[in-house]
Formats: sequence, C-alpha cells, structure tokens
Amino acid sequence: MMPAFTSAYPNVGVTINMSGTQLQARFMLSLVAGVGAPDVSQLQLQEVPRYSCTGRLADLTLVAAKYRDAFPENVWKDCMYEGRIYAIPWDIGPCAVFYKRDLFEQYGVDVTAIQTWDDYIAAGERILEASGGKTKMLFYPTGFQEILFEMLLRQSGGQVFDENGRIAVNSPESLAVLNVLRRFVKTGISANTQYWSQPFFASFNTESVATYPMAVWFGGFIRDYAPAKSGAWGVFPLPALTPGGLRTSSYGGSALVIPAQCAQKDAAWAFIEFALCRRDSQLGHYRSFDLFPAMTTVYDDPFFDERVEYFGGQQVRRLFTADVERIPAMNRTKDWVETVSYLRQSLGHWSSDDMENPEDFLRALETRLARRLDREVSPRSLSLKAKAHGESVN
Amino acid sequence: MDTFEHPAHWDLLKRGALYVLLVALALLFMFPFYWLFISAFKSKEAIFTLPPQFIPDPWRLSNFLEVFRETTIVRAFANTTVIAAGHCTLTLFLCSLGGYAFAAYPHAPGRDKLFAFVLATMMIPGVVTLIPVFVVLCKLHVVNTYTAMIVPGAANAFGIFWMRQAVQQNVYHDLLDAARIDGCGEFGIYWRIVLPLLRPALAALGILVLINNWNNLMWAFIVLRTEDMYTLPLTIYLLQGELRTPYGQIMAASLIATAPLIVAFLVFQRHFIAGISSGAVKG
Amino acid sequence: MAAHRHFYLFISPYFILFAVLGLYPLIFSFVLSFARWDGLTELRWVGFSNFVNLFGDEVLLDAIWNTVVLGLMYVPPMLAGAFFLAILLNASWLRCRAWVRAAVFLPVITPMVVVAVVFGLLYDFEHGILNYGLQRLGLPAIPWLLSEHWSKPSLALVLIWRWTGYNMVLMLAGLQSISKEFYEAAVLDGAGPFQRMRHVTLPLMRPVFVFCTIMSLIGTVYLFDEIFVLTAGGPGTSSMNIGLYLFNLSFSDFRFGYASTLAYVTAFIVFLASLFVLRFQSREGD
Repeated sequence: MMPAFTSAYPNVGVTINMSGTQLQARFMLSLVAGVGAPDVSQLQLQEVPRYSCTGRLADLTLVAAKYRDAFPENVWKDCMYEGRIYAIPWDIGPCAVFYKRDLFEQYGVDVTAIQTWDDYIAAGERILEASGGKTKMLFYPTGFQEILFEMLLRQSGGQVFDENGRIAVNSPESLAVLNVLRRFVKTGISANTQYWSQPFFASFNTESVATYPMAVWFGGFIRDYAPAKSGAWGVFPLPALTPGGLRTSSYGGSALVIPAQCAQKDAAWAFIEFALCRRDSQLGHYRSFDLFPAMTTVYDDPFFDERVEYFGGQQVRRLFTADVERIPAMNRTKDWVETVSYLRQSLGHWSSDDMENPEDFLRALETRLARRLDREVSPRSLSLKAKAHGESVN
Repeated sequence: MDTFEHPAHWDLLKRGALYVLLVALALLFMFPFYWLFISAFKSKEAIFTLPPQFIPDPWRLSNFLEVFRETTIVRAFANTTVIAAGHCTLTLFLCSLGGYAFAAYPHAPGRDKLFAFVLATMMIPGVVTLIPVFVVLCKLHVVNTYTAMIVPGAANAFGIFWMRQAVQQNVYHDLLDAARIDGCGEFGIYWRIVLPLLRPALAALGILVLINNWNNLMWAFIVLRTEDMYTLPLTIYLLQGELRTPYGQIMAASLIATAPLIVAFLVFQRHFIAGISSGAVKG
Repeated sequence: MAAHRHFYLFISPYFILFAVLGLYPLIFSFVLSFARWDGLTELRWVGFSNFVNLFGDEVLLDAIWNTVVLGLMYVPPMLAGAFFLAILLNASWLRCRAWVRAAVFLPVITPMVVVAVVFGLLYDFEHGILNYGLQRLGLPAIPWLLSEHWSKPSLALVLIWRWTGYNMVLMLAGLQSISKEFYEAAVLDGAGPFQRMRHVTLPLMRPVFVFCTIMSLIGTVYLFDEIFVLTAGGPGTSSMNIGLYLFNLSFSDFRFGYASTLAYVTAFIVFLASLFVLRFQSREGD
C-alpha cells in the first residue's frame, strides 16, 4: 500500500515505525507530555475510549462524516466520544468457531447440528467420551475467562456499563453467559491451559482440543502453526445463546487516530483516508495481512466468496461477514482496560469457588467494580430491581 | 596464617587450588560477556545455531554495519554521552558546593537542622516521586529534552553527605583561613583550593553517578519521547520488537553500549571500589 | 549574618532543585493518593478509597508474594556467595586480586538491557546454550522465561550474577577493615581457622551483613530494570514484583492516584521494616 500512497501524495513523506514493545504506554506518555506521538497511531478498538476522552486526539468528525455509512454503527461506537469521532476503524474481529474437520468426522459429530451453545456443549461431551477423554472441546483457561465472557456477553447484547457509564453487569444476559461458561468447566469438555502458551500452539497439530471459539484473526495463527493441516480445519458460526439468536460476536479489531499534537493533520488525515476509507486499501489489508475489513461496503467483493482450501474449501470469508452489522455495540468507558482486568480476576476467583451461584457472583462483581472504578450501579441492575421488588412486597 | 604448621608443598597445593577456583568463578561470571562479544560478530543465523558456535565462524562485521546504517545508534551514543556527562557534572558541582558549605561553615544558623533534613531525604525512595516529577517536567515543557534526563536526581542527598565527609577529611580550616587572608573570595576558595583537594572523592562519586545515568532505562523510557532523543539503553530496549527481533543488531548495539563502561571501570576501578565501599562502611 | 551569607548561597542551588523536583513532588504525590487521575482528564477526589482498594488487589497480592519469593530465592545465596568470594580474595598472598574482583564486579555496571538481551539468548528455549547443555547431559530442556514456574528462578539466577560482585566488594572492604591484631590475639589463644571465623570475623562483619541484607531486601521490593526487560512481569503475573507493579500502574495504566497510594504505603512499610531490622541488630549487638 505504501508505494500507492506515495505516488498519490508525492509531497507527503511517510516513515513507518511499528517497532518496539510497550506501544500503549509510550503512546499515552507522549499524549500526556504533549510531544513525541507519531502523526498516525494504531490503537486497539477497545482501547480507543481511554484516549478519546482525554481531548488529546484530533477531532475527525467533520472529515469522517462522509464515511459514516461505510462502517457499521457498532464499530463507530468505539471510535466516538460524546458524539464526536476520534478514530477511523481499520479491522474488526467477527467471531466464529474454528474446528478440526477430521476429528468431527472421526467422532461422527455433525457441525450443522450445532445451533446453540447447548448443542455445542453436547457435541463436546460426545467428543470427549468418544475419544476416551483424550480430546477436549475447547481451551477455557481459568486465568483468562474474561475473553469468552466478553465475546458471549456482547453476542447476547449484554453490557458491563450502561450508556451513562454505570455498572450494568448484573443482568439476565450475564447470567445466561455465565451458565454457559460454567458448563464448559463442569462438563469437563474444556482444557484449563493458558492461551498463547506452548501447549496451546502445539494443540493445533494434535488431537488434544477440537474447537477454538475465536475472532477471525485467529485463523492466521492456525495456518502459521499448523501448515501441514491444510484441509483438516473448518469454521462454523458461533453457536447462539438462545435458539434462533445471533450467531456472531466481535472481539478485537483496531483503528487509526491522529494525536492533537500532530503538526501536519492534513497529511495525517490524507494518509488515514487513503489507507482505511478506500475499498482497495481495505481489501488489500485483508489480502496481504489477514486484517478483516471494518468497511462493510467491500463485502460484495468476489474475494469473499472464494473457497479457502486450508479450511476444507469453505467460503470462510463470507461466513465471517454474516450479521456483522447486527453485532450489538459495547458501552466501553475510559477505564475499560482496568475493568477487564477486574473481570479476569473475579472470574478466576469464581473458578476456585467451583463456579457455584452465578447470581451471587454477579452481585459481588458489581459491588467490586463499583468500588474499584468509583462508579454507580445502573438502575437496570438485577440487584436494584430485586431490592425494589422486595420493598414493594413489604 | 598457618603456613608454619604444614610442609611447604601442601601449602603450595592449597594455593594452587584456590587460584583454580577463583579463575573458574571469574570465568563463570565473565561468560555472558564472552557470549555477548562473540554473538555480536556472528551472523543472525549463527546466533541461534545448534550446537552453539563458541567461536564465530566466520567472524562478521555485518551486524555493526547494519546497526550503524539502520538504527539511530550513533545519535543515541551522542545523546547518552551528553546526558551522562551533563548529569555527572551538575551532580558533582551541586554536591561538592553543598557538602563544602556544610563542612566549612560550622557556625551558620540552622546548619545542623538543614543537614539532618538532607539526611532524612536519603530515606525517600525514588518511586514515590516518579509521577509528580514527570508531571512537573511536562508543565515546564522540558519532556523530551536533555534537561529532563540531566537535572532530576542531580540534587543527590547521598552526594552531599559524601562530599561533606570528604571536605572534613581532606581540607583544613587553617588552609581556608590562610586563603581568606590572602584575599581569596569564598567561591574562589571552593573553586581553586577545595575542589582540587576533593579530586579522589569527586572521581569516586562521579564514576558512580556516570554509570547509573548511562544505564538508566526507566527514566529514559518515561521522558524521552522521540527517536532522535533516545539513549543507548532505550534504543536497545526498543529494538526488541514484539514480532521480529533483529538479534544481530541488538548484540552489536549492546557491545557498543557496554564497551565504554568496561573501559571506564577498568581505568577508574580503584575509585569505583572506594566509592562503593565507603557507601557501606560509612552510610 | 553577612558572614554566613555564603553558606546559604552555596547550599541554595541544591535546595532549590530539591524543592522543585523532590519536596513538591513528595507533597503532590501524597495529595494524589486521595484522588483518581490519569494525568489528562479531570482529577477526582476519592477520599480513602485508594487505600481501601489496596486490600483485595489481587495483582498486588501476587506482586507481594513474588517479591518475597524472589527475595528468598536470590538474597541468601547471593550474600553467601559474596562472602565466600570476599574471604577468598582477602588472602594476603593473593596476586591478581583486582582482576578477579573486576570479573565478578563487571555485571554490576553493565546496562540491564544488555544483560537481558544476553540472558535472553542463554535462556532461549530451543536454541539457548543452557538448554543445549541440559539436553547434552540427558536432562529435559527448561522453559526458563516461558513458564510461570521457572520465571522467578530464572530471574533469581540473573540477579545473583548481577549483584554478587557489589556485595562482595562491600564485604571485602569490611574484612579489610578488621584489624590484624584481633587475629593475632586469637592465634595466641590457640584458635584454629574455624574458631577465628566464628569468634572474630563473623561478629565483626555483622554490620556489613546487616547493611547488605537491608539493601538487598529494599532492592528486591523496588527492583525494576531486571524484571521489566527480562519478563515484563510475566508469564501472567508470575514475576511481577512491587516495583514493576508500581511502574505499570503509573505509566502503563496511568492510574496516578492509586499508584501514588501504593508507593507511599510501600515506602512507609519498607521504612518501618528497615528500622525494625536495625533495632533488632543493635539490641543483639549489645
């Protein structure tokens, strides 16, 4: 893409600096200090709210207005603060289940029959039994439960915060999600092994785990670590929480921002516009770097209908485009990253308590988040409703 | 001590064993340096071959050429030198001037209280003030300048304490009085008479401060925001990309960053050891 | 008063600088510990809730645990090794003492980034020389920096390598400051080498031991560079200590208020602990 940009804008010099660790810390330090941030920076979608509320990012509302319809509303949600646009979506992470075709065939499990998470768990139990306990259904590490929690909560339309930033995690949606998660553990179909660890990557080539409910970008890892397994993998849509429910979710994705301190905002915007707001660029990122386009208007490209040999000739790209616009938006706050760390800790604790009483867990989580984040509890919270109900009865 | 209790050859054997032990331990401690040295001269592939190459085959300079061509190491070297020299000079000046004042003006009112205050500040760990110092530097608009690396920490309580002690031990009041009679100004006395007498103590404090500053990663990470300002440790740290680490370049850069320190240490070893030891015995 | 003008003049540069970059930050930081602030958006007062939140902060609990375990792993062997080396180097007839001392001391002055890079190579799981050696001996390879179980021992090894020389120099200075007369008197009383060690060297070295122990323990609490560059606290939080957690809270999470609270409380506890050790020591010494 770079040669294309420099030929289109010969006056703009571009240096690309993606190197180094601790990118977020360095970016925030530069924002606070008011010096040193690159003219264009890539941020994780979920982290954008933390920066957009600081007033240190350039307001892109006016220039980005004409691209409003090219990207789904649920993605814009992460890029906006108080009605203003501060980031332009790059890629998104629609979710599905990557599975090992050969194992499913071997144990006679029909993928198309898996419609809901209940079906998924039942299939997992069958595989576990048929393999003599050798093959688990999925990785569910007790130290990182927040990933699947967030994925399923978003799928169900539940929230951690309401629109006003109050704690809304104690909800029927959360309860439904927790009931799925606890059955991952109670039925014994999950492996308690850390993501991105050696056994995790090794499992791509072995029979230890059959499926991986993950975002689209995960497919690249599988191909890299199990090149010999071409054709043995497949993808099926995320099981729904209720019959007929939404069969996708979103996890991850990124956006580009311009810091307010940038001296050449026009050039920086020209770059972003060229890189993200053009059909060719978005498709190019997908073709070359496996970054799934946030721009939904490109989904009519024939590239999405190509059959992918690695995944057994399935039209996986098309599969991931399904219902992308219908994925519920998340209300994320500036302390979202901190919030996620509390989710992780609390869920970890719940595991050591054998994942009993999800209602109690949610109440405790709500109290904890309210105290730690110094936020109010949403009036929609189950605990407040219960109280109101109790009072009316008395 | 008990040489007369044993026959001479037994003693010789003991000494020989001790030498062997010491040499073995020294080699063990030196091994990572040896590994750093040879890795810098290996090709990228050879750094990771098994069995490991104990002698580069062939010796290559390509890592050095690459690190000069593709990274800002030269600039970083210059930055580090300016910063370390500036910080060292400022620290020595402030501490020797203050230390001299505390030692040479015994009758100044409030002197003992002020000195006790200085000693008390030695107890404060740096992390407590990390955030506010950063905020202050932001307010003063000196983040990402040499000033941000040179000035913080130059008001060093330990340095004052040490210099005061050095003045007490090496400078006699008679000498100062004689200079005053000769019409030498107060600052002139400090500059022309006291400072030369403090040379060994200054060397010891200076080399300590210099090496600490040269190696400082945390503060550089916080206040140096653009590549043209990076120091050597920060440059090397950030070369470790998250995806692909250019190990050859890193090894070469590491050698370049470490060599001056090793030379400085070997040259000033006596002062350095004296400095470290005095910290323990007196402090 | 005029005669003392120079005193105030000469100490003023130091005190002015200290006021701006020492005293003011100290007060600022104390005030911050009652607030929630990220350095950019509006500061919010939260009373004592930062202090309350210290209890039940699980990462902090991990950090404390790791600090203690790491300290126990490396401080005793390091101090024992340093003392052993100091005794060896103290032999009066020894030649080339400076060279051995330099060899053991060089790690102290090496930039920690460089140490991390080199140990990163040595510790490499598949291509590192340590695992190569282990496998040649028929032992299994160790996932040094990759596993939650090994991250602390791996760090401890680096810390021992890095800081033994420093403590050795201190102990050597201590040994050399012991007057020969004590030993001569002991020999006259018929004391053998072990008795001399027990009744002369060890008691007289006590202050040096205490100093080294306190410095090492404080060092473990605030340890930063070593962990930041080698493991960044991972895998998970298995090698996160208080120093790194403070840094992360400050400059990764930008929770300036909470970080200040933790910094203050930690400094206070470390101060009390040091006082306690010193008290204990001086009473024992009587």
